[in-house]
Amino acid sequence: MFGYVRPSLPRLTEEDKGRFRAVYCGLCRTLGERYGLPARFILNYDLTFLAVLLWPPDTGEPEHRRCIAHPLAGRDTFTGNAVLELAADESVILSWWQIRDALADPGRGKARYRAAAAALKGAYEKAAALRPDFDRSTREQLERLGALEAAGCPTLDEPADTFARLLAGAAGEVDHPVKRRVLEQMLYHLGRWVYLIDAADDLAEDFASGSYNPLIRRFSLESGVLTEEAREGLVVSLDHSIRLMAAAFELWDFGAWSGVIRAVVYEGLFGVGRAVLEGTFHAGDGLWGGAGRKEEPL
Amino acid sequence: MTDPYEVLNIPSTATDEEVKKAYRDLARKYHPDNYHDNPLADLAQEKMKEINAAYDTIQRQRGGRGNATYGSQAQQRQSYYGGYQQQYQQRAGSPLFQRVRMAINQGDLATAEQLLGQITDHDGEWNFLKGTICYRRGWVDEARRYYQTACQMDPGNGEYRQMLNFVENGQGAYRPEGYEVFSSGCGEGNVCGRMACAYLMCNLCSCGGMRIFWC
Repeated sequence: MFGYVRPSLPRLTEEDKGRFRAVYCGLCRTLGERYGLPARFILNYDLTFLAVLLWPPDTGEPEHRRCIAHPLAGRDTFTGNAVLELAADESVILSWWQIRDALADPGRGKARYRAAAAALKGAYEKAAALRPDFDRSTREQLERLGALEAAGCPTLDEPADTFARLLAGAAGEVDHPVKRRVLEQMLYHLGRWVYLIDAADDLAEDFASGSYNPLIRRFSLESGVLTEEAREGLVVSLDHSIRLMAAAFELWDFGAWSGVIRAVVYEGLFGVGRAVLEGTFHAGDGLWGGAGRKEEPL
Repeated sequence: MTDPYEVLNIPSTATDEEVKKAYRDLARKYHPDNYHDNPLADLAQEKMKEINAAYDTIQRQRGGRGNATYGSQAQQRQSYYGGYQQQYQQRAGSPLFQRVRMAINQGDLATAEQLLGQITDHDGEWNFLKGTICYRRGWVDEARRYYQTACQMDPGNGEYRQMLNFVENGQGAYRPEGYEVFSSGCGEGNVCGRMACAYLMCNLCSCGGMRIFWC
C-alpha cells in the first residue's frame, strides 16, 4: 500500500494517539523480528490501519521497549500478538507484489524497485509460505490488474476492483462472520479508495511517461491534469467509497479503536483526498491535521 | 435479554430526554436511508430492530411517560424495513424486472445480471437495475453512470433520483455529531461552495423532473 491513510489528528484523544503509535511501533518491531531490517522500511500508516482493523477485541496494553529508531527514549509498543504477525506477513506480501507490479510497468523508473525487490525477496518467500491463500489471491488480483492495464481498460471500477478485492482478502482469516463481512466491505472500499487516490497522485507522472492510468482512459484526458468534469467524477467515487467504509464501520463494535477508525473514515481520508487533488500531499508527512494541514510525524 | 440501556449506550439513570436523544441518534445511524442497496443492509436492519426493541422496552418500563408517538414511529420504522421488498416488487413493471429485483434483494447478482442481459429495451428501469448491480459490487463510478442515464430517461422517477443523489453527495448519509460534511473535492474557496450548491439544488429539485449536475 502507499501510505495515504491518516486519522484526523484533532479528533484523536491522547490515548488514541498513543495506541495508534503503539501499533505502528509493534508492526515495525514484528516486521523486524520476522523478516529482518529491510522489511521495516515497507511500514506505513495504511498497513498500521490494516492492523487496527484486524485487531482482536482484547488487546492488552502496550509495553515500553527500546526502539531502533528512538534508542534513547524508547517507545510504547504492542508486542507478540497474532494480529501483528498477520498484518506483518500480509504487509510483506502486499509490498512484494506491488514492487513486482511496478517493475513490470514499462513507464516507471526501475532502479529503486529493483533494489527493494532484492531486499525483500527472502522476506516474501517466508511470508508466502506462512500465508499461502493470501499470497495466491494477491497474485491473482495483480495478474488481473496487469491484464486490464495491458488492454487499456477504460473504466475506473474494474482496475480498482482488483486492488479492492486484494485488500478485502486480508479479512479472510477473521473468525467472527459478522466482523469478517464488515471488514471485507471496509477493506474493499479502502482498497478502492487507495487505488484511485494513487492514480490521482501519479497522474502527471503517468501521463508524461505514457504509463497506464485509469483516470486518463476513463475521462479521455489530454494532459496530466484532471479536467473539472474528471475531478468531480473522481470526487464522487472517492467520497462514496469513504461513506461506504463508514457505514460498514458502524456495524461492528471496534471497542478501543473506534476513535481512531472514526477519525479516518469520517474526516482523515477526505482531508488526504483533498490534499492529493490539490497537489499538496506528501507521503512522508505525519498524521493528518483535519483541515488539510500536515502535522507532526508519529 | 440484553439490557435496553446498554443497547442505547446510556445509563439506566438517563432522563427521558436523554433516552430519546440516544435513540434518535442511533436510529439515524442505522436508518435504511444510510444503507440503500448496501450489501450489509441486513446487519443494519438487525441493529435497527435491537434499538427499536430497546427503546420500546424502556418506554414500557417508564410507563410511557417518554413519548408515545415516538414509540409508534419506531414501529413504523420496523414495518418500513419489513415492507421494503414488497414495495420493491410492486413497483416493478414487467415480470422479468421483478425477477431481477428479487435476485438483487437476495444478493444473487450473477442471476440479476444474466436476466437483465435478456432484455433488449434498455429503458430507465433497465439502467437503474444495472446501476444497482454495479453499486452492490462497490462499482460506484459505473453505478453513477447508469443511474444518471436512468434519471435522464425517466426524470420523474423518485427512486432513481434518490439513489443518484445518495451516490453523488451522500444525501441521507449519517455522520457523527460534531463532524461536518466533508468531501475530497472541498478545496478552500473553490469546489466547496459548488458542493454546497449541489446539495441545495438536489434537495430543492426533489419534486422536479430535472437531473441536476454540478452547478
